[in-house]
Amino acid sequence: MTKKRMTGKGILFGFLKWFFLIGMAAFAAVPLIQVLLNSFRSDAECKTMPIGFPDQWTLDNWSETWKIGGYATAYFNSIFTAAVVIVLVLTVTGLGAYAISKLEFKGREFFNAYFFVAISLPGFLYIVPDYFAMNSIGLVDTRWSLIIIYTATNIPFNMLLLKTFLSGIPRELEEAAKIDGCNELNSFLKITLPLAKPMFLTIAILVFVNVWNEFLWSNTFISSDALKLVATRFVKFTGEHSSNMARIYTASCITIAPIIILYLFFSRKFIEGMTSGSVKG
Amino acid sequence: MKTKKRNMVPYFFILPAFLIHVCIVAIPSLSTFVMSLYDWNGLGNGKFIGLDNFIEIFQDPIVKKAIWHNIQWLLIFITIPLILGFTAAILISSLHRSQMLFRTIYFIPYVISAAVAGRIWMAYMNPYYGLNNFFAKIGLESLSKMQWLGNPKISLFSVAFVDNWHWWGFIMVLFLGALQQIDPTLYEAARVDGANRFQELWHVSIPGIRPTIAFVLIMTIMWSFLTFDYVYVMTKGGPAYSTEILATYIYGNAFVKYRAGYANALCVVQSVICIFIYFFQKWVSKKGGLEDD
Repeated sequence: MTKKRMTGKGILFGFLKWFFLIGMAAFAAVPLIQVLLNSFRSDAECKTMPIGFPDQWTLDNWSETWKIGGYATAYFNSIFTAAVVIVLVLTVTGLGAYAISKLEFKGREFFNAYFFVAISLPGFLYIVPDYFAMNSIGLVDTRWSLIIIYTATNIPFNMLLLKTFLSGIPRELEEAAKIDGCNELNSFLKITLPLAKPMFLTIAILVFVNVWNEFLWSNTFISSDALKLVATRFVKFTGEHSSNMARIYTASCITIAPIIILYLFFSRKFIEGMTSGSVKG
Repeated sequence: MKTKKRNMVPYFFILPAFLIHVCIVAIPSLSTFVMSLYDWNGLGNGKFIGLDNFIEIFQDPIVKKAIWHNIQWLLIFITIPLILGFTAAILISSLHRSQMLFRTIYFIPYVISAAVAGRIWMAYMNPYYGLNNFFAKIGLESLSKMQWLGNPKISLFSVAFVDNWHWWGFIMVLFLGALQQIDPTLYEAARVDGANRFQELWHVSIPGIRPTIAFVLIMTIMWSFLTFDYVYVMTKGGPAYSTEILATYIYGNAFVKYRAGYANALCVVQSVICIFIYFFQKWVSKKGGLEDD
């Protein structure tokens, strides 16, 4: 690259390229940075000029919003729900993916195809019957409704991820364990599981993000404030305080902060997890 | 006895995941098709009314509006994010040290919740307290008077703009991933043959990522008819149905008007549109050589 002569056209191209790349980076990041800056402004200042740095920095918004918005409860609800769903999803997809990728049995192809098709089923196809079925057995407006639904909807994609990963682990390792006297479950727990740890971490992160961000189902199924997850609590809060711009900006920060922090630490896992299955070489 | 027991093990492994999914997704999905033939409010037993729901859908002016909005949505999303994503992917694939940095920044809007992103942009698009103040200050009078979400003529585009903000980085990463899998010797061969940058793009890069282009097209088209979050969070289909799309109309019928049977019939229409488009697109890409078999 450096050997190339810098012609006039080359310079112009280079300029346009960096202009475009930096411009798009600003387009992606500046609205979010501005939200953070606005959370340190007074409401009056947010209303007159929502762009640039605050004239007077204040921390009041944060403590007020956290308290009024009931964010401690909402954080607990989201983290608790996500934790239970992560454990359930890892357990059932771990066992399932192991069976599909490693074991010989009748119907294996059927299960494989089932989960593959299931990935693309839209939520709107089953949200109405699910709601009214859960309503009739009294599960609507309980934690369990969301836990069950999130577990089910997170299964197919993660099953595919894990299956692809496990297929890459040589079967000889598990066979060797079985010769040493392990049964199928033990060879899964002792051999496969430790090797698949990175993929389990990826899935845990993906499920956490899905649960934290999910809106349609939790908005439909949960109506009492004490049970609302962060995203729906946020929507309700901003609806009630729609005239207080500072609180809206602050509540946005509080709601996305954990995800952004997690993303900055694990951006590679986020990107690979969220786009895998899509890139078929 | 022993062999029989061993054969059961795979089923114990696979059944938990399978049963949960069948109960929550597969059976309800099938019941959607059945209940679309009923007049049902979600409680108790519905009344079988045959195809009446579907007849009503064909006469419902809001359904026509909603489908037209979905088509506009499709036209926006099949062009803008693809062009932006593709251009950025091509440009940053030639970078070395800063490639990861750009990729990380472009992807940020994709990881945050639609509920929050929608509300943030609602705040910016607030006609009195939002960006309009900034436009007024720098002298863009006409822009500063804009009702971004309140004017039925532009509200759909305002919401689409925000969804694009969140979406294009994802497309960029897909293209970038595909570009990186192209065999570098192909570029060298092209260069030996004296190809310029544009010819390289046309004869090496684009053919190399054909399957990804096909995948992105199918995904965009189908998701354009399923999209919900941003529209619901930002406008709930309003004002005056100007942003009503199939998904928001289904949601309103099911959970606001409690017309579950009618909502199910709309879901069936939505699914049929998606399936039809899926096969139509497959057929077109096969004809156009985007896909191999």
